[in-house]
Amino acid sequence: MRNLSWLLRAALFLALVSPVVVRAQFQQPTDDELKMTADPKAPGAAAVYLNISEIANDPMHYQSYYYRIKVLGEKGKELATVEVPYMKGNGKVTDVKARTIHADGSIISLNVKPEDLLSEKNGEKQFGRVVFTLPSVEVGSILEYTYTLRYDDNEFSSPQWEIQRPYFIHSGHFQFTPFKAFMPTGTPNTDTGIFLVDSRGRTINSLVWWPRLPAGVTVKTSVNGSYTVDVTDVPAIPDEEWMPPIESFLYKVRFYYVPATTPNDFWISESKYWSKEVDKFAEPSKAIKEAVDGLVAPGDSDLAKAQKLYVAVQALDNTDYTRKKSQSELKQLKLKEAKHAEDTWAQKSGSSEDIAMLYLAMLRAAGLTAYADKVVDRDRGVFDPSYMDLDQLDTTLVLLDTGGHEMVLDPGEKMCPFETVSWRHSDARGIGEGAKGISITATPMQIYKDNTINRIGDLTVDAHGGITGSFNIVMTGQTALRWRQEALRSDDAELKKQFDRELEAIVPDGVEAHIDHFLGIDHPDDNLIAMVRVTGTLGTATAKRLMLPGYFFETREHQPFVNEEKRLEPVDMRYGNRVTDQVTYHLPPEMTVEGAPQDANLAWPQHAVFVAKSKTEPGQITIANSLAVAFTEAKPEDYQDLRGFYQKVAAAAQQELVLSAAPAAASGAAN
Amino acid sequence: MRMFRARICWFAAACCGAALFYSNSASARDKAEPAPDWAVNAAKTPTPGNVGDASAVVLFDEYLITVDEQNHAVERERFAVRILEPQGRKYAKCIMEYDNDEKLNSFRAWTITADGKQFQAKDTDFKDFGAGGDADLQDTERFRVLDPPGNDPGAVVACETEGHLRPYMNSEDWQIQAPIRVLDEALQLNLPPGGHYSESWSKFPPVKPVEVGSNQLRWEIKDMPALDLENLHAVPPWEALAARMTVMWGETAVKGAESQWRAFGEWEDQLEQHRPDPTPQISTEAQELVAGAPDLYTKLSRITSYIQKNIRYFVIEKGIGGWQAHYAGDIYRNRYGDCKDKTTLLISMLQAVGIRAHYLVVAVADLRGAIDPTAPSLIANHMITAIELPDGENDPRLMARVKAANGKTLLIFDPTDEETPVGLIRGDLQGAYGNFVDGADSQVLLMPVLPPDSAETSRKGTFALAADGSLAGDVTDEFTGVNAARERGFLKESDSKEVHDRLEEGLTSDLPGLNFKGYEFHETGELDKPVTLDLHVSDTGYAHAAGPLLLVRPRVMGSNAHPVPDLMESKKRAYDIEIGHPGCWRDSFDITLPAGYVVDETPDPIDLDVDFASYHSSVTAKDNVLHYEREYVVRQVEIQPDKAAEFRKLESAILFDEKGTAVLKKQ
Repeated sequence: MRNLSWLLRAALFLALVSPVVVRAQFQQPTDDELKMTADPKAPGAAAVYLNISEIANDPMHYQSYYYRIKVLGEKGKELATVEVPYMKGNGKVTDVKARTIHADGSIISLNVKPEDLLSEKNGEKQFGRVVFTLPSVEVGSILEYTYTLRYDDNEFSSPQWEIQRPYFIHSGHFQFTPFKAFMPTGTPNTDTGIFLVDSRGRTINSLVWWPRLPAGVTVKTSVNGSYTVDVTDVPAIPDEEWMPPIESFLYKVRFYYVPATTPNDFWISESKYWSKEVDKFAEPSKAIKEAVDGLVAPGDSDLAKAQKLYVAVQALDNTDYTRKKSQSELKQLKLKEAKHAEDTWAQKSGSSEDIAMLYLAMLRAAGLTAYADKVVDRDRGVFDPSYMDLDQLDTTLVLLDTGGHEMVLDPGEKMCPFETVSWRHSDARGIGEGAKGISITATPMQIYKDNTINRIGDLTVDAHGGITGSFNIVMTGQTALRWRQEALRSDDAELKKQFDRELEAIVPDGVEAHIDHFLGIDHPDDNLIAMVRVTGTLGTATAKRLMLPGYFFETREHQPFVNEEKRLEPVDMRYGNRVTDQVTYHLPPEMTVEGAPQDANLAWPQHAVFVAKSKTEPGQITIANSLAVAFTEAKPEDYQDLRGFYQKVAAAAQQELVLSAAPAAASGAAN
Repeated sequence: MRMFRARICWFAAACCGAALFYSNSASARDKAEPAPDWAVNAAKTPTPGNVGDASAVVLFDEYLITVDEQNHAVERERFAVRILEPQGRKYAKCIMEYDNDEKLNSFRAWTITADGKQFQAKDTDFKDFGAGGDADLQDTERFRVLDPPGNDPGAVVACETEGHLRPYMNSEDWQIQAPIRVLDEALQLNLPPGGHYSESWSKFPPVKPVEVGSNQLRWEIKDMPALDLENLHAVPPWEALAARMTVMWGETAVKGAESQWRAFGEWEDQLEQHRPDPTPQISTEAQELVAGAPDLYTKLSRITSYIQKNIRYFVIEKGIGGWQAHYAGDIYRNRYGDCKDKTTLLISMLQAVGIRAHYLVVAVADLRGAIDPTAPSLIANHMITAIELPDGENDPRLMARVKAANGKTLLIFDPTDEETPVGLIRGDLQGAYGNFVDGADSQVLLMPVLPPDSAETSRKGTFALAADGSLAGDVTDEFTGVNAARERGFLKESDSKEVHDRLEEGLTSDLPGLNFKGYEFHETGELDKPVTLDLHVSDTGYAHAAGPLLLVRPRVMGSNAHPVPDLMESKKRAYDIEIGHPGCWRDSFDITLPAGYVVDETPDPIDLDVDFASYHSSVTAKDNVLHYEREYVVRQVEIQPDKAAEFRKLESAILFDEKGTAVLKKQ
């Protein structure tokens, strides 16, 4: 019997070596290919793949890779250098052949031996890369190369076909022939005696694949026992700002072995194991109960108990924000990695996951109804239940049910206030326990009103545009969380430097802004306030007038989407928020307001609102504006509405405040 | 504080994605050993009060270089650092560099925590990495990196490494300064009987060695201040400012800076001997290229362009390959190579047509300025070419010329720079030193600072402003010289989407309501011809109403401002200020005003001239056209710190001008 270690090795092997292939022979280029100087299917591309072929054959113990590339621009020459990563001991890169074909048809073959370089070595594991570069490459050249990866007869491969690449693909052929037991026509666990078991001893009886493919393309099976995908005209990987995690949207096929045949079977089975492991780790043991008894009072409400326990686990050393002890350090300290919640409590230290599980154990020990919820990190990916892999899910949250009121808690997120969840874990899907068993879950979206930045300034302006004054920047929600977590990694001076760097990017040219101090940096339940000092020169003067930026913070702040005309992928704003500015300018005695920024009320209905208003009083003007973004994701078809809104905001932000030495005209300029 | 291991053509490479100290050299043992006395003693050193808010302090750093009779050396380093703040951990990650000919003998480390607990680093605390860098610049070099156990604030991490130095190099650059304070450091050189040495000091007064044994010299330095450039902008690279000592032994160790530079040049000359020898194919190619060329410039231009266009940058460096080029014939056949290879092929092709050229070893990018003429060393990361010009050759296109001590006129040229035509050099090279390699005539050489007309940009725009504030128009940019090279480089490295995105991004900072109607680049492929760019733009909300007024910015687009935050805040500057490169930038914009509006007020003109730059701008109104024009001239690459006030004045004037607003009133 072959055991799971083969599977794991094979999986790692392929994750590293990923795409490749083949037995393909070099091809004679067509006249059109030789003469091509641009590709109408990929306008402006610096290169295109004419052909890709990646073939994996487990019975024959090889994977072969073949590529043919047309270089259309200087940048495309980068494809002439090829790096083939591999894991030492798991395979060998062989049969490297390459040639460059010039536009006139002349051929220059690779005649330099590829180099085998170290990438990383960590104990027994050593990752290398074979590197070669094609000779005599010019714009107009066709690059053609092939290599083979050979591996032992006890390796099961799990091809990961990256169908979408940084460059357009005209034609791609991907083929996988597994061992007979896993062939489309094979009968598991019979004919060859080759089968796999997982770490739980279950027989793995299925080779499955997870496809994300262009419309009309499918994974085909053949009578000779192989799986194939053939694609044509695959667009290059998009590159746009504010994209969702792009890896989750690219065309690809992943093969893997599982002890289930359908996603439903898999998640039922896997979630049971997961839940069992959660219950085992988060067992409300005697030690946990004693700890809880010391933290809560018998008369406390359920909510009060939950809050007190939350504060207690948040106070522990969260090694994801400090430093994880190495194996050698644990050994020298005679400590072991936490296997149970009580270990984490005893060590007063643990990872975010350990601390979340400890909190779950404590809630249960306190007699509360609490469940674990394992969700994807939305900054990293999107959970797809059709892909049968628990590793899609990153983070454990805790669901607390206090008499019908269910709340999501994020105890592993250091400095996260009670009932607040990091945006990476909100609007995130996963699997969760509950009163009715285990199910696919989704956490609530962030509410934009919970994530606020209020910048309240008081500035004195002189007749030449010089200013002095201060700002209070009040932060709640995600921004406050980010700075509090940053404070865990840096000392006060370093934190101030970082904050100053961000200020530098958002204050007008000629203005210096420095944080004096923070209020509430150590108190996650309070507003975080940055007290900022401001000096410098704002605006410009003419003989009769002084002109200042209408909106203090908008003058240099980058407005997203303004410079991106078209959109292919959805927009992912991460979370909704509201930024409000209110700046009072105390005017020089001899000047009055001649023109103020126009009041504005710009809306992208159901999504975002920008409001601006100014108020003139004797000797001063107060200008306030607020931008509320109440959406997280926008589809490409909504992009022009979104862009139109941000363009209007950016244009409004360019308005100026005009002060005049003469008495203000009675035109109602001041609002 | 650390040894600098120079390698030519390494200016693009980096190890492990982290800027760390590296100490030198191998392997931990399973059996726990207590920290040695030197580490324990170092850990007893109190943190002095003068470290300020530093995140770490080096308590002890000692190098012991033992040279044998073949001039091969083994180096041991003992290094102890105290972590003061969480971010100080980065200074406690010891790194050892090794390769086939730089064998690693040992690498051991201990951590002594604030409460006196000791940890010894085990095998699992070490990782090995191949030298990283760009895909086109790879190396067989490896790094062993320690992630020390117990490295919390208050702890002292002590590392001891030992390894062989490269057998073909007889010098070491001792970086005696670090981004954090160093309390106690030393270098000891143990020479074989009869062995000799030389030394040079940069940015630090020479320290006399103590003879601690027979032919054993020891230099000691106490309490070296930190060189922390983290919050300074527009400063020369760290390596150019940091104090260092270079120690040499063996045949290349000679006394006196001039002799030492000559010895380095002769060593390099010997290393590259016969590498540029032209093959028949190279000779034929070179002669065909220059056939019918009317003058020297044309000959040079044809050959240099050939190298620039046809020899792709790629190399995998192995051992001495970090310093030694491939043979010209191999480079010509494969059509790729690194900076040394490109220079070699260029020398070869020029030789084939009767023009002499030489290697010039330089320091660029993050080493720019690191070559100190008073302190010979092999610190460098790039190789370029010095071409001999005949007496009386005065072609004004050949600007990048310099006179060598032997009276030869040399034209400096970088064949790796695929965009800058012969006759010019980019700003990175201007005003910096290089080691000119020409046998007994080898010397350190100051490269020229080019005049402003070596890099020009001219922008002309014509726009129509509507009463609703919208603006539409066309703009033409023309780039010449070094500025054209920059544009060519951008076009070469970008696909059409990237070009579009960069233009759009640049425009929207000035035109937030931009409707980008299109653009056309005109580029002939000939490096000495201008690059032009036509832009077609409109902006829905360019001018803004303020009560009865319409406010319009006459400078429609583009910025010449390069404000340096610490200088603008009047912070005292101790180091030179980098201001870009010599050049001239001109803008001219005409805005036709909407019917019924007249100009009520325009910004004042600016006329400012300082010795390193000038800025002139004016706004005029005639009939219904608002005209803006300006000229910005830069004459230097960097300026002395005592020019900070003038620099501030210049930047303030530019910022003021760029924000200037014309006030329109309805008639």
